[in-house]
Amino acid sequence: MAADVGLKFTHVNGATGQYYIAEQMGAGAALFDYDNDGDLDVFLVQGGSLGAPSAKAIDQQPSSRLFRNDVAGGKLRFTDVTDLAGVGLRTYGMGAAAADYDGDGDVDLFVTSFGPDTLYRNNGNGTFTDVTRSAGVSDDFWSTSAAFADYDRDGYLDLFVANYLDFSVASNRVCQDALGARDYCSPRVYRPVPDRLYRNRGDGTFANVTEAAGISRTDGAGLGVVAGDYNRDGWLDWYVANDANPNQLWINKGDGTFRDEGMISGSAVNAAGNPEGSMGIASGDFDADGDEDIFITNIIAETFVLYENDGKGNLEDVRSRVGLAAPTAAMTGFGTDWFDYDNDGWLDLFVANGAVNVVESQRGQPSPFRMRNQLFRNTGGRRFVESSADAGPAFARAEIGRAAAFGDVDNDGDVDVLVTNNSGPVRLLRNNQAGTNKSLQIRLEQPGPNRFAHGAWVGVERTKANTLWRRVKTDGSYLSASDPRLHFGLASSEVSGIVVQWPDGQRERFAASKSMRSLTLRRGSGTR
Amino acid sequence: MLTPLTALLSYAPPALPRSGVVARSLSMGYSRWRRAVLPGLLTASITASTAAAQETLPPLPRLAVDSFPPSARETVSRVRRDAVTRAGDAAAAGAFGRMLQAWEHWEAAHQAYARAQALAPKTFEWHYLDAVVLQRLARHEAAAERLKAAVASAPDFKPARVKLADALFEAGRLDESRVLFEALAGDPATEPMGVFGLGRIAAAEKRHEAAVEHLNRAVELFPEWGAAHYALALSFRALGRRDEAQQALERHAEYGARWPALEDPVLMAVSTMREDPHAILQRGIKLAESGNLDGAIAAHEAALAGDAGLTRAHANLISLYGRKGDWAKADEHYAAAVRLGGDIGDAHYDYGVMLGLQQKWQQAADAYGKALAANPLHARAQNNLGELLERQSQPDAALEAYRRAVEVQPLFRLARFNVGRMLMARGTPAEAIVELQKIVEPRDAEAPRYLFALAAAYVRTGRKEDAVKWAVDAKQLAIQSGQHELAAAIERDLARLK
Repeated sequence: MAADVGLKFTHVNGATGQYYIAEQMGAGAALFDYDNDGDLDVFLVQGGSLGAPSAKAIDQQPSSRLFRNDVAGGKLRFTDVTDLAGVGLRTYGMGAAAADYDGDGDVDLFVTSFGPDTLYRNNGNGTFTDVTRSAGVSDDFWSTSAAFADYDRDGYLDLFVANYLDFSVASNRVCQDALGARDYCSPRVYRPVPDRLYRNRGDGTFANVTEAAGISRTDGAGLGVVAGDYNRDGWLDWYVANDANPNQLWINKGDGTFRDEGMISGSAVNAAGNPEGSMGIASGDFDADGDEDIFITNIIAETFVLYENDGKGNLEDVRSRVGLAAPTAAMTGFGTDWFDYDNDGWLDLFVANGAVNVVESQRGQPSPFRMRNQLFRNTGGRRFVESSADAGPAFARAEIGRAAAFGDVDNDGDVDVLVTNNSGPVRLLRNNQAGTNKSLQIRLEQPGPNRFAHGAWVGVERTKANTLWRRVKTDGSYLSASDPRLHFGLASSEVSGIVVQWPDGQRERFAASKSMRSLTLRRGSGTR
Repeated sequence: MLTPLTALLSYAPPALPRSGVVARSLSMGYSRWRRAVLPGLLTASITASTAAAQETLPPLPRLAVDSFPPSARETVSRVRRDAVTRAGDAAAAGAFGRMLQAWEHWEAAHQAYARAQALAPKTFEWHYLDAVVLQRLARHEAAAERLKAAVASAPDFKPARVKLADALFEAGRLDESRVLFEALAGDPATEPMGVFGLGRIAAAEKRHEAAVEHLNRAVELFPEWGAAHYALALSFRALGRRDEAQQALERHAEYGARWPALEDPVLMAVSTMREDPHAILQRGIKLAESGNLDGAIAAHEAALAGDAGLTRAHANLISLYGRKGDWAKADEHYAAAVRLGGDIGDAHYDYGVMLGLQQKWQQAADAYGKALAANPLHARAQNNLGELLERQSQPDAALEAYRRAVEVQPLFRLARFNVGRMLMARGTPAEAIVELQKIVEPRDAEAPRYLFALAAAYVRTGRKEDAVKWAVDAKQLAIQSGQHELAAAIERDLARLK
């Protein structure tokens, strides 16, 4: 569903037959509660036209849209509030990141673009102000995914922006496919551009610390980025998925600088030592052993990869062993994340698929890049089984999937998925799969600028079962921002306690009660 | 993915020796291979011919011939028509499969091969080729079953045995895979693949000491094996040997996707099903890799005749013609590569090497400058630029260029040797010793001159005993590797020292 609940939006990629590589990459999406009314609203990033000779005037270009969620009694309804909110962006947009960067209690929005980026400060009254320049985050590189996280533990959310290629309409190359027909170029044809790391000064502005932090040491055609503590030293690291270049694992040295341990960690390239065409990232503890593992979507024929963490930041490619290689060999994946769709306690996977080069069986048809999305059920932390065929007709439809944002859109206790399609309509996949399994939703609050405790690591302890760990975050996936509320499927297990490691590293324990389904944990109300 | 030709053909410091094992790969054509390896099987192939059997056969795949380039449609149509009209003929279905495989229609190729296998269950090729397709589709279990059937039909065909061991490994059947890799390791022609497989199995079983042992043997047999260096790095890391892991990663970065060759006439026959420019170019690249310069040039030119916009073909021809001394043709293709644009850092570099061979020093320096503008991390361009600056009596700038080359590629021994030389010339032999000490391993054909330079640096610092020790080592190694002139020069210096 989407249009029938008011989410009327079709992405425009502006394709003119010139095969500009930027046409293939959008579109992004954010699920965030911009009006603080307790439900997730939707921001959808629009493309536009690229270098067409008769380019429409700016004000005639389609714009990005904001839809307010007016869910009531489980019934979804969205209202387009773009103009009211002042976020009708008309750049050639890519992705979105959402977080309360200025600590005023409402969620702000960062939009990446093929062109200048945009930071919208939420005014707290249903409107936004473009503060890009005054905040110091204006940049003209082609940016894709972005992530907010407090990497220096000063209480303010910093910003990492993944940048892609040194491409312009003027530098467009002519490329052909294996049959000699005109096709989109490989990213290898263009030079990668450096990512950006902005440190939040705490006064509403950011400092570009890319050089000082060491992030500029290697470039990599970034498409996905996520923050996680992969070596469990209490400092948030960055993992960047790069297209046709080694992925980067920027390990936080705790002194404001990072070193790239992608190669030495085993998570930069495949087993043959070759970089893959990486797009989306899912970071989470799929095997319930207390550390964050990384799943990456790749281009067709490479298969998608799962890197299992040994708890020390050493990552092992287990894609074949867990059964994720064969079902993904024929797919090009983009948006993805871990979520427990059936509330059985194990993190499952959703992947939005869509090709970037012609799908042979569709050759000669309009938009011959369509693929179906996939759902993988985690069967006990050791093996995944594709369950797309049992997940409803939405999974039989082939489209050009790109972003995937995750969250409980209808507030019914399970996680829904918002999927964008390149040159196609947005889809909202409402989850009806959870059945009778129990679940618990947790929201954190703490004093100070990082009010929603972005980056906190939360464990739900269960009787006779492993503790379930989740991180408070909105990043990951591809061009997407997701629900920061934590969702724990419990099956039939009982919760015996909840542990929160707050972003500054302090731990606090909270008691459990049998009846709880949704709760807000406030810092200081538990026990140390 | 194929290694870019320019990386293989470009001027580089003396290459690490390629393994003799690899050079002794099967070198016979497909027809000859069929005659030699499958004497009884071709005639023994069973062809199902009854109508009842045909009804249960896997169907042939549907195909939109219009989707192929116009130049290929006639051939594709003919092969498909044969498969349809000769419905009971395994060879016709198999040929259709080969055509589809050549054009990377993997699922369709699998369907055609499935039909060919049903029609001729004892024919090696259809099992083998289907398995290759299934491996491409990451269906390793199914591939392993097809490969078992293939190996049963042709037990001496080594590529099938290697692929079977790989498929079993990927399917997680480590014990079965181990048995096969052990057998491969015992055969000189397949030893690199055998020990590499055993290393991967040991690593998967967390037996990293054993993995290091196997993988070290793999890189000893084929020093440029990027994947083996990468696997070594991960095992060193698991053992907490981070410095060695880092060194292995640097070698991986240096060698990239290079892989030991095991000639496969059956797969080669698939690639000849295509006559489009891209396919011809790939064949040209393979010819260049095998040292057939004339054949490589002819294939590259044929590819360009079909598509003049193949930047890669133009870029490769700079080196190919350069190696033949045909400067005019090299110039022509350089100009075409630059005109077309794209990733042409290596093209500038190759052109610089060619200009250097013609002693056009300033133009060569300009070309290296362009290579570095396209790719600032081009270590070989930095090094060669350093050599030109040295020639122009700019020692400080040359040293700076060499240092940058080493910074980008720490295991670039020639560049570090040049750093050492420049430091000696500057009168700082102690600093030179620090650099030269880093390149004394491995003790390969490159090493004698590095050891000799180290000996010279010790002489300059007055440490005669150390100098003699390194000079003796250098001389012995020079003799072992057949560098008799160098050995004689070292002997003369040694006599003076003593």
